[in-house]
Amino acid sequence: MAKFVTIGERLSTTAPAVNKAFMERDPEPILKRAKQQLDAGAVYLDVNIGPADGYGEDLMKWAVQLLQSEFDNVPLALDTSNKAAIEAGISVYNRSKGKPIVNSADAAGRIENIDLAAANDAIVIALCNGEGIAADNDERMGYLTMLLERGLEHGMAETDMWFDPLFLVVKGMQDKQMEVLEFIKMISDMGLNSTGGLSNNSNGMPKNIRPIMDSALVAMAMMNGLTSAIVNPNDLRLMETIKSCDVFKGNTLYADSYLEL
Amino acid sequence: MPFNRKPQKFNASIKEVTIGCGEKAVTLGGENVYPFYSFDGEITNAPKVAVEISDMGVPEVAGLKAYYEGCSTMAEIAKRASEMEGADFVCLRLEGGDPNGANKSVDELIAVVKEVADAIDVPLAVEGCKNVEKDGELLPKVAEALQGKNALILSAREEDYKSVGAAAGLAYDQKVGAESAVDINLAKQLNVVTTQLGVKPESIVMNVGSAAVGYGYEYVVSTMDRIKAAALSQSDAMLQMPIITPVSSETWNVKESMASEEDMPEWGPVEERAISMEIMTAAADLACGSDAVILMHPQSVATISKMIKELV
Repeated sequence: MAKFVTIGERLSTTAPAVNKAFMERDPEPILKRAKQQLDAGAVYLDVNIGPADGYGEDLMKWAVQLLQSEFDNVPLALDTSNKAAIEAGISVYNRSKGKPIVNSADAAGRIENIDLAAANDAIVIALCNGEGIAADNDERMGYLTMLLERGLEHGMAETDMWFDPLFLVVKGMQDKQMEVLEFIKMISDMGLNSTGGLSNNSNGMPKNIRPIMDSALVAMAMMNGLTSAIVNPNDLRLMETIKSCDVFKGNTLYADSYLEL
Repeated sequence: MPFNRKPQKFNASIKEVTIGCGEKAVTLGGENVYPFYSFDGEITNAPKVAVEISDMGVPEVAGLKAYYEGCSTMAEIAKRASEMEGADFVCLRLEGGDPNGANKSVDELIAVVKEVADAIDVPLAVEGCKNVEKDGELLPKVAEALQGKNALILSAREEDYKSVGAAAGLAYDQKVGAESAVDINLAKQLNVVTTQLGVKPESIVMNVGSAAVGYGYEYVVSTMDRIKAAALSQSDAMLQMPIITPVSSETWNVKESMASEEDMPEWGPVEERAISMEIMTAAADLACGSDAVILMHPQSVATISKMIKELV
């Protein structure tokens, strides 16, 4: 089995400092956050530029070139609802360390991002939802099937479609948590890859609690076959848990210094 | 349905480590397929054969005495060894340094190292006496004495990787052998801590332990198998160093190689048995993933190098 793929989530317009740096094309804060995440063991970096209407193409190109030239062609997830920006990013993207990830497609308004990924030989994160959150796993599976067929029709390898079960917030949806975990198992049993915004589960919880909840959930999800997650790699407890689970799963060979690798 | 051949190729490969200088330098590793799976992809550098000589002189074995006939100095022995058919490089074993044996002084041994290095034009590996304390003192001096030769220093172990690794890999720019005893987790750990010292991964060769066939050898098989699998299929950068396996130091001391013909008439001539043990063990090591083996007898060296040539 391959090692768990962490996608660092800290380059996002939702962070005011990052947003400002994106708007001003100021490399410093971007590179600093990228380095922190890579030093902590992130495999991919997510680049969330928001909708970026009118300037997304220029901004995504700038960000891709900035990050890949500074960090040895680090693989990136291009995260925006702006399709032209994703295509512009891919046009300057170097694949030597991994295919670009299109973040994301769903079974409703963003299904065409599957076609976009297929046309550009990219990986796509495919959210198993339509309009609103799926009511149960039957509905999730319906969306997954729809997305999978769309990808296969367009010539994608099924391993390039990373299905997102949609992690749900515990505060308010505690009764749905096991259902999400069971869906991860269903994805895994089909031989497919999965990923998702894991920390959504702990939204609204006190800061000191979130790493504990995230770590517990990632362990349970990896047990059920989760192959990747969009995470904060600077959460030490979470990264230690992921590395330890990779050992238990045989994804990496144990050595006393395994946490330093 | 027609047979569709699917080559098993990996994106990762074993790192290349070059020993020696100039035309006769040898490169270990580089492959991105399993051992001898040349049908899956090109094997960049064929496995290599080193000839072992000892500071204690030529062992009392008729075939060896005959091969080294007329050699009275270490320089002459080394030169003859380097000319052996099928040999790629020479490995000098400083077994005389063992405090429980001849207990030669470090200075005395360094003189031998220099004499051997000056006598040959093939790459040189130097193996310590296996006593951790003595090797910790001796091997850094060996690394110093061989400056500019790009030699392989065997070995840095868990107990002395700091002194040996730092001297060989950092101060004197030699290649470092990282030795563990059939323990895959320790093999990886040694590579981690040695690189954390600042030694380049491209300067490390692993000796992951060995045994003579029939003497717990299955553990050697599974260790090497798992290392190659992790290196190639999991792209584990801390296990992508090439492997060198000392064979003769294991196989010439087991009863099949030592029991006299008088005691064991049904086993046949003792030297033939010892050569068989050496060849069988070396062939198995190579099939499990060794990128180099260290042998002693000219017949073993010729046979194994021929086997490599036929298979790669």
